[in-house]
Amino acid sequence: MSEDREILREVWEGNLPVCFTLVQEEVEVDKPDPVSLMVSRQTYFPLVTDKVQKYFTQFTDKEYIEEMWLEYDGQPLKWHYPIGVLYDLFASADALPWNITVHFRNFPVEEILHCPSKDAVESIFMSTVKEADALKHKSEVINNMQKRDHKQLWSGLQNDKFDQFWSVNKKLMDYTGEEMFRYIPFRIYRRDGPYIQKLFKPSSDEGIDHTLADLLSIMMIDFKELVCGNLRVVIQGVEPALDATLLWLSQHLSHPDNFLHIVILSKTDMNNSIATW
Amino acid sequence: MSAGENVESSENALKETADSEKDAKDTEPTPPDVQAISPHNTYKIDLLLKAAGDAPIMKKKKWAVERNKTVYWVADFIKKYLKCQQSDSLFIYVNQSFAPAPDSEIGTVFDCFGSDGKLVLHYCKTQAWG
Repeated sequence: MSEDREILREVWEGNLPVCFTLVQEEVEVDKPDPVSLMVSRQTYFPLVTDKVQKYFTQFTDKEYIEEMWLEYDGQPLKWHYPIGVLYDLFASADALPWNITVHFRNFPVEEILHCPSKDAVESIFMSTVKEADALKHKSEVINNMQKRDHKQLWSGLQNDKFDQFWSVNKKLMDYTGEEMFRYIPFRIYRRDGPYIQKLFKPSSDEGIDHTLADLLSIMMIDFKELVCGNLRVVIQGVEPALDATLLWLSQHLSHPDNFLHIVILSKTDMNNSIATW
Repeated sequence: MSAGENVESSENALKETADSEKDAKDTEPTPPDVQAISPHNTYKIDLLLKAAGDAPIMKKKKWAVERNKTVYWVADFIKKYLKCQQSDSLFIYVNQSFAPAPDSEIGTVFDCFGSDGKLVLHYCKTQAWG
């Protein structure tokens, strides 16, 4: 993996400019200015929005303040998805900065989880890392780590420290004995419906490496639509070649939670920017 | 919904998912290909619910649950069955190793971590496995 370390760093450094605005109906007297932040694609909103919350609470009626939640274009944003995945899925067709609306009332309890504290983010993040390792190595690697290694993964992500994170994460991306990953941890997202996650091996029984195209065709993504460009496949903000090896993608384009998050966009999803299709 | 608590209110009566006569299905192998073809199907899967730590044991452990029910829903169901307070915490684990996200669909968890035609979930009232 060493020769591709620069790619890991490039992926890690992927940032998005986000502009937060308090929803009009919750503005008490003076209209607050929007808050602009450059945020990492790899992280989660509750880890980067303390300032946003603090600033906007001054402008809304404190009596009605509930937990803060974020929305884009009518879509409540799930805080436990990595920021980059939310952007690719809902906003990548539109111009930057990404304009997100901040709410303190009417929490959409049917659509997003409550986030009582940053501990909840840590808990979901670490569980996802563990789930990924259950798929890759029957949990052997994660279980053989020390508690402090787990903490290092989390603090590396939380503090945006590439070296700190990857010095532990590389073990999760490595071989155990002779076997490469048993299964590739992936999730395929579309705007409609829940994500797809199933068992998928990195190579065929004959030992031929599976490609991104193999995965997508088996997971029922309409291949003809892909080839003629009616669908877009986005991972970490880029559209990888369909013949890219799935294992390589998993090792290099996975999010810190060790899952390869694959976003599928249709032409209808992208209709706002049809001119640039 | 709350990530820390795994609670969800649901109007579904317990009876809807209760199905103790599914033992025969247990021995049938899971057909992964069929599931891959129809990701949004709603047929039921067999769940085996096991207590861990200080959690009370459920008298009836085997349940048939629709694929599109969430982990959250299952936690809520267990709480109602055990007559726990809604405010009580209940943690659900797969393979005794990780807690699936509360909004994961149980069918998806089954596809990845089911074996012998069923999905085994452990539940406990305090965090057990990390």
